[in-house]
Amino acid sequence: MPVWLREHSWRQSLSAVYLSLPLRGARATAANIFCSEQYLKVSIPPFLFEAVLYAPIDDTNSTAKIGNGNISFTLYKKEPAMWDSLTLANADKEKLQHLRENAVLKAQEKAKEETEAKKITKQENKKYALEATMKVEEAERKRIEDLKEKERQKVTKELELWKNQQKDGDKYKSIQAKEELYQEKEPLKERKNEKIKKPQIPNEGSSKTRLRSTRGHGSCSIFSQDLKEEQLPAPRAAATIKVNFTPRVFPTALRESRVAEEEEWLHKQAEARRIINSDLSELEDLKEEEKNPDWLKDKGNKMFAMGDYLGAVNAYNLAVRLNNKLPLLYLNRAACHLKLRNLHKAIEDSSKALELLTPPVPDNENARLKAHVRRGTAFCQLELYTEGLQDYEAALKIDPKNKIIEKDAEKIRQLIQGTMQSS
Amino acid sequence: MSAVLGPERPQVVSHVQQALSYTVFDCKWVPRSARLMCLGSAARGTGVIQVYELHGARLEVLREIEKPKPIKCGTFGATSLQQRYLATGDFDGNLNIWNLEAPEIPVYSVKGHKEIINSIDGVGGLGIGEGAPEIVTGSRDGTVKVWDPRQNDTPVANMEPVQGESKRDCWTVAFGNAYNQEERVVCAGYDNGDIKLFDLKTMSLRWETNIKNGVCSVEFDRKDINMNKLVATSLEGKFHVFDMRTQHPTKGFASVSEKAQKSTIWQVRHLPQNRDIFMTSGGSGSLHLWKYEYPAQRSKKDSEGSEMGMAGSLSLLQNVTLSTQPISSLDWSPDKKGLCVCGAFDQTVRVLIVTKLNKI
Repeated sequence: MPVWLREHSWRQSLSAVYLSLPLRGARATAANIFCSEQYLKVSIPPFLFEAVLYAPIDDTNSTAKIGNGNISFTLYKKEPAMWDSLTLANADKEKLQHLRENAVLKAQEKAKEETEAKKITKQENKKYALEATMKVEEAERKRIEDLKEKERQKVTKELELWKNQQKDGDKYKSIQAKEELYQEKEPLKERKNEKIKKPQIPNEGSSKTRLRSTRGHGSCSIFSQDLKEEQLPAPRAAATIKVNFTPRVFPTALRESRVAEEEEWLHKQAEARRIINSDLSELEDLKEEEKNPDWLKDKGNKMFAMGDYLGAVNAYNLAVRLNNKLPLLYLNRAACHLKLRNLHKAIEDSSKALELLTPPVPDNENARLKAHVRRGTAFCQLELYTEGLQDYEAALKIDPKNKIIEKDAEKIRQLIQGTMQSS
Repeated sequence: MSAVLGPERPQVVSHVQQALSYTVFDCKWVPRSARLMCLGSAARGTGVIQVYELHGARLEVLREIEKPKPIKCGTFGATSLQQRYLATGDFDGNLNIWNLEAPEIPVYSVKGHKEIINSIDGVGGLGIGEGAPEIVTGSRDGTVKVWDPRQNDTPVANMEPVQGESKRDCWTVAFGNAYNQEERVVCAGYDNGDIKLFDLKTMSLRWETNIKNGVCSVEFDRKDINMNKLVATSLEGKFHVFDMRTQHPTKGFASVSEKAQKSTIWQVRHLPQNRDIFMTSGGSGSLHLWKYEYPAQRSKKDSEGSEMGMAGSLSLLQNVTLSTQPISSLDWSPDKKGLCVCGAFDQTVRVLIVTKLNKI
C-alpha cells in the first residue's frame, strides 16, 4: 500500500493554480510526475499523491519545480475561473478509475505525437544541413572557377597586348621595307636609263636590273642580302654514313612490355624449325612411310611382339625424333627397356609418358595405368620398393578393380616390411 | 622528385580550341607573328596546310592550301626571318619548301625518300645560330638525309643502312650542336629503340645507344649551342634525358629516365626561353611540364681517369589532360613565353598558355 501524501497546500489565481507538495525526504525526478489534462499524479515509491483536478488544465504549459524537499506545481487553467477546490469532490472509485485510464491514454497519445513531431523536425534539420553544405561547396567551386577565369582573362589581355606589339612591329617593318624599296627603285630607274643609253650591253643591264628588282622585292635591302649570302658557307660536300641497326626480327617497333612474348614466339619457331631441319638433313634416304611416326610405332609394336626389343627401341627412337609429343611412343619404349633390363631408361620413359598424359582424364586412363605399372616394376627391380609402391598405388587408384596390381602391391608391401624388420 | 609549391605552380590554361576537318599531324608557330600553321591529311587523301591567326579568343583561317599528298611534318627552321618558308615532308617521301604567300609552286622540291617522311628539322635559319641552312628528314625507309636548299636533287649527307641490312623506321630527327659554321650534329631515333648521333663535320657516327623502346621524339635543348642536353621520348611512357656535355669513351652519355605516363610519349619540346623546361605530350591526351635540375657536379673522373657525365634530376611542374586522343604535335611560340599550340588526333588544335614560368 502506498503512502498517500496529503499535506499539500495550494492557492490559485484566475488563470493558474499553484500547488505545493512536500516530499517528506523523498527524492523526486521528472519521471515521477505524471500529469494530464485533468489528472495529476506524483509517485515516488512508497509515496503517492494523486489529484483529479477540479477543471482541465493546460498540461503542456504547466510546470513543476522540484527542490527544497517539495514540488511546486504551476498549473495553467484552461478556462480562467476560480476553483472551489483543488480536486473534484464526489469522485467515486469508478469515475476515478475511468479518469485515470483516460489520463494515461491521453498521455500516451501525446507522447506519440511528440515523437512524430520530433522526427519531422529532425528530418527538416537534416535537409537544412544538407542544403547548407551544398551551398558552401557551390561557393567554393565558384571561387575556384572565378580564379581560373581571372587568370584566363589576364593571360588573354597579355596576349592581345603582345599581338598588337607584333602587328605594330610588322607594320613598322613593312613601312621601312616600302621606303627602302622606293629608295632602291630610284637608283634602279636611273641605272636603267643609263643602260638604255648604252645599247651594247642591253641584255646584261636588263638582266641585272631584273635580278636586282626581284631580290629587293620581298626583303629589306639588296645590300644586306648580298652580304648575308656571302657569309653563308657553301653547301656541304655530299657524303654518306653507313648505319648498322640493333638487330630485330620483327618489323614492328620495340616495346619493353612485349619482349617476353616475342622471345617465346621466337623460341617456339626455332624449335619447330630444328625438328624439320633435323629430319631433312639426316633422313633423306628413308622411305616415305618410314618418316611417319605412327607407321614407326606400329613397326615397333610388331617387333616387340616378336621379341626383337632392340629393334623396337630403334623404331621408337626414330619416331620420337620426328614427333616428341606422342605419349604412346614413350610408353612402349619403356616396356622395351623393361624387357631389356634398362631400368633407368624405363623409368625415364614412363615418366615422360606420364608428363605428356598430364590432363588425367578417363580417356588416357589405360595409358596412365600402364605407365605407372611399368615405372613401378622398374623401381622394384632396382630395389627402390617405396617408390615402386607409390606407383602401384597410383595405378590402383586409377583402376581399383585390377587384381594383379593389387596382388603385386601387397607383395611389395610385404617386401618393405620384411626389409624394415630385418634392418 | 621535388615538387613546386601549390599556388606557385605553372598553370596550363586552354586559350582557344579549334576543331579541324582533317587529321592534324603537325602544328607550328609562324616565327615573329601571332600566326600558326597546321598541316595534315584530309579525309580524301590529300594534304592540307592551314594558316591561322590568333584573334582574341578564336583562331581565324588566313589561308588554306591543298596539296596532292598528305603532309606529315613541317618546319620553319631553315628559312630566314624575312622569307619564312615552310619545309614539309609528305607521305610519299617528297621534301618541299613552300612560300606561303605563293604556295602553288614549291620553292624547292625533291623526292627525297622512298617512303613517308616521318620527321623533319631545320637549322641555320630564323637568325638563330650560324652556318648554312640545312634540313634533315627521317623516313620509314630507314634513311636520314640532310638537304641544303641551295643544292637540288642530292642530299648533302645521307645516313643509310649498310648494304644487306634490314631497314628500321626512322621516327624522329633533330639538329644540334650548331654553335659555329662547321659544327653540326644530327640525332635520329628509330623504332627499334636505337638513338644515333651523327657528326656532320666529320661525317661519322659519333654515338649510338638503344633505349629498349621505339623512339618517338628527340630534341636538343638548344640547336645553336654546344650540345647540352638531349631528351628522347619513347613508347611505354618513358623518356630519357642525356647530358651531352661529357662523352665517355665506352659508356657514352649519362642519362636520367622517367616513366611518366602509361602511354606513348609522342613529343617533347623545350621552352625556347628556358632550356631546362620542357613539355612532353602523351598518348592519353595529357601534357606534362618538366624541369631539369643539374647535379652538383656535371662530370667526374671514373676509375680509369676518363671523364664521365653525371645526370641530374627531373621534377614534374604540372600536368593536364586535354583530350582523349594522343597529342601528336606540340610547339612553343618563340616570341611569347608560355604560349604553345598542340594538335591532337581528335582533330582539334589547341592554343594553350602556361602561366608563372617566370617564377621557375
